[in-house]
Amino acid sequence: MALRELPLRAFSAVCRDLRPVVPSLRSSARRNASTDAVQELESSSSLTVPPPSQDVAKGFDPVAQSKARDGKLPSSRYQFKSPKYYRGPLHPHQPPPESDPSSRLFQPGPFSLPPLEQTYQSTIAPDLLALTYVHLPPGFRSPVKEVKGQRLREWTGDSPYYKNRPLRPPRGGGHLSLLTPPRTFRNVPKITKVTVHSMVKEAMENSGYIAVAGMVLQAITNVRSIPHQARHNVTGWGLRSGKTISVTADVEREDAYHFLGKLVNIVLPRIKEWKGVKGSSGDDSGNITFGLEPDQVALFPEVEVNYDSYPPKMIPGCHITIHTSATNDRDARLLLQSIGLPFYGKYIN
Amino acid sequence: MNAGQNTARRIASKTGSSICRSCRETISRNAYSTAAAATVTDNHTEALLNHIPPATSPSTSYGVQAGVVLSRPPVITRDLHPFESAFFLYQRRLNERLALPFTRYFYFKKKTPADLEWKRKIKQRLTPARDIGRYKGYGDEAWNDELLVGAPESDVNWQVERLLEDADKPAAKDEHNPGGEVEGLVQKDKVERDMVEKPMPRVTEADLKGDVKSLNRMLQRTLYLLVKNKEGKWTFPEDRLAGKEALHDAAERILVHSGGINMNTWLIGRVPIGHHEAKYPTAKSNELGLKTFFMKARIMAGQANLKDNKLGLADFKWLAKEEVQKTVDGKYWHSIKNMLAER
Repeated sequence: MALRELPLRAFSAVCRDLRPVVPSLRSSARRNASTDAVQELESSSSLTVPPPSQDVAKGFDPVAQSKARDGKLPSSRYQFKSPKYYRGPLHPHQPPPESDPSSRLFQPGPFSLPPLEQTYQSTIAPDLLALTYVHLPPGFRSPVKEVKGQRLREWTGDSPYYKNRPLRPPRGGGHLSLLTPPRTFRNVPKITKVTVHSMVKEAMENSGYIAVAGMVLQAITNVRSIPHQARHNVTGWGLRSGKTISVTADVEREDAYHFLGKLVNIVLPRIKEWKGVKGSSGDDSGNITFGLEPDQVALFPEVEVNYDSYPPKMIPGCHITIHTSATNDRDARLLLQSIGLPFYGKYIN
Repeated sequence: MNAGQNTARRIASKTGSSICRSCRETISRNAYSTAAAATVTDNHTEALLNHIPPATSPSTSYGVQAGVVLSRPPVITRDLHPFESAFFLYQRRLNERLALPFTRYFYFKKKTPADLEWKRKIKQRLTPARDIGRYKGYGDEAWNDELLVGAPESDVNWQVERLLEDADKPAAKDEHNPGGEVEGLVQKDKVERDMVEKPMPRVTEADLKGDVKSLNRMLQRTLYLLVKNKEGKWTFPEDRLAGKEALHDAAERILVHSGGINMNTWLIGRVPIGHHEAKYPTAKSNELGLKTFFMKARIMAGQANLKDNKLGLADFKWLAKEEVQKTVDGKYWHSIKNMLAER
């Protein structure tokens, strides 16, 4: 054993002598701390490698190759399958991340770059920034103290009952409105989500209505719709708890932009005598809701293409809530106006 | 958009000559009636600590100009990067494998012409998606689902053509030849179809001619109006402020004086989006140089017309960002490059 190692040891001894030469060379050429790291990177990218030549590419036929093969290829022993149930972080069989196509939760996409998103990025966002920017002179400090952390007031006074008492409710109203930070290029309002919701009263008697509503919502939003059950009995409205009464579709990202594009460019212009969205709509925190009647929902191209498949008079109306990252209704309305949604009446901010 | 209380305009209007701006603002603010005395004294001491002495009017200063960055936003979507289009195509093909099966009878009633049409199409492409080529996610050869190098399916124009072809509706359907398997029949069939209107070309005539004065060029890009001024330099339309004129008023005036009234424009906001500072080589009487503040505007309709303009402009061009760089001089470009959109 020792004899076998001998040449290796001799070689390593020689190498040990040679070694100091190399670092000295390197140190003389060194310019800054990152030079070594840069040298370790490959100089050529794999993206710059030219594709295979035309004749190679044309001659390649994977099906013919596999048929010409005599036997089968040896099958891989281990084929990964994502576990059906999550058994905790210590279990050896862990599911892959959601972005992995072998995951059970994987959803393909995105499939396109929506025109509305491109318009937002190229035109709308810079314009909104220029419109809503507030310049403060250099050195300006706001005389109003910036409120950070807890915005609710404490109970101050001598009463012993003030100790550990829940904080006082906000001034002048039941809820604490969102703070609007100064506008920068980072917080230009954008569309975060669209919720399409449809409550069908007739579904109490006939559950077919809810099925149709779900299909319509799925067709127009490209998102699986979720049914909701009534939680309480309300005799005045004929509600019974536990009965499925409404469906919702939460539309995000690419689908949301496609949905809004269709709505603004195709559906809304075809509605007769539509005034627009009511100016008082909004929840004070940048989310704006409006409704569509059943005959207006039927104008969506996805419904129109097979209008006969839906039972007559079962197409539902719906409420569309557009969630934006704006912190007040004024900004949200400005954003929606810029994508082409008209508003009417008195604006309430 | 909290333009309510503390805009620069209001603050400036409140400033007097005797005390500094921050002191002024702090003192003049009315405290709420509760604990008024305490807060006022508190603010006052703080204000004294933060005191900045008021600026006296300087003997020499810069002249102020307003400039207008008049732009035409992109009209059509941009061309996708080859990686983007390849990625989208890959995801669409993957989706065909993972999505629930197409609910055929929900969309096509049995034995209708639409159903026969559907059968014919699905036989050709094997998958409900119209623009991804032949794709089979199931069966013995499902593993062979990758596109080969140089496949026509990866070309965007090919995908657009397939969509258009699919949108063509049969004019009159022959009941006896539902499949249309024979090549000749398919060809004959095509002639009888009502063709869908083709989309307009993405490259216009102005692009081919290299006409830089047309607004119909480079539809995917933002175009900016550049003018040739008296000195023969290419700049944005600019002019000195007249008297106590505000920047946005000046911008509107400049648009009328330079491009004429035949432009429907929208001035975006009242805040400048950038500035350029030019020093005179030799200082003139109490003026060191010229500062230009740029206002943003969009053109909605119309076209610039320099005929009898009041700013002495000789020529104009509508240019995209990288063309602007080649046209204006280096220092000017350095000041304006960050306010121009990449696309």
